[in-house]
Amino acid sequence: MNAGMGFKLSHLQSMLLFALLISIAFGFLSRRQPIERVKYIVSSLLLFLLIGVGIGWAMYPFSR
Amino acid sequence: MTAPIAPRQDSARETTAPETPSQDSRRETMAYVIGVWGRAAMCFLTVGTLVILGAGMRGNVFSSAANDAFDWLGYLADLGTGTFYLVARSLETGGPDVSHAGGDYGTRFLATAGVLNLLSALHAYEAARGRKA
Repeated sequence: MNAGMGFKLSHLQSMLLFALLISIAFGFLSRRQPIERVKYIVSSLLLFLLIGVGIGWAMYPFSR
Repeated sequence: MTAPIAPRQDSARETTAPETPSQDSRRETMAYVIGVWGRAAMCFLTVGTLVILGAGMRGNVFSSAANDAFDWLGYLADLGTGTFYLVARSLETGGPDVSHAGGDYGTRFLATAGVLNLLSALHAYEAARGRKA
């Protein structure tokens, strides 16, 4: 893959993608029942996003 | 004096035959196999997607020519992806570009893929040893 074919993603898109993929992997690794997996994936995805956005806002006063 | 109450007839219980132990064990085996293989397939897909995205975003694929401890840690994390490390090296012909946020995210994607793959391998090892995983 050369430089011209690189993915151009924004911060938010990258964070969403990262949170989604890791949540899915964690859900499949830590739960056996399908319903339990879905619950775990959704809850960890929401926590990833909440904490990520929270840390972003916490750093905002020091950004300039 | 009240009349004796007749025992309730449960028609559903009469019509369905009780499951034999072999059916139960077969069902448990199938659920186990589907669960294990589903988990393995999902780990493979997740690690592969992270590596392809990380290399596509021009993240830093660390090599053995490390300058400091952080480079070594990054190299070890990237090596955790196994064969995908070679895939990432071959995909990223333009070299890394961490001057933009995308490249920095790509570096994290690649390192996370390696650590996640190691975690999956450890999980599979624990399951093979008979511990509930």
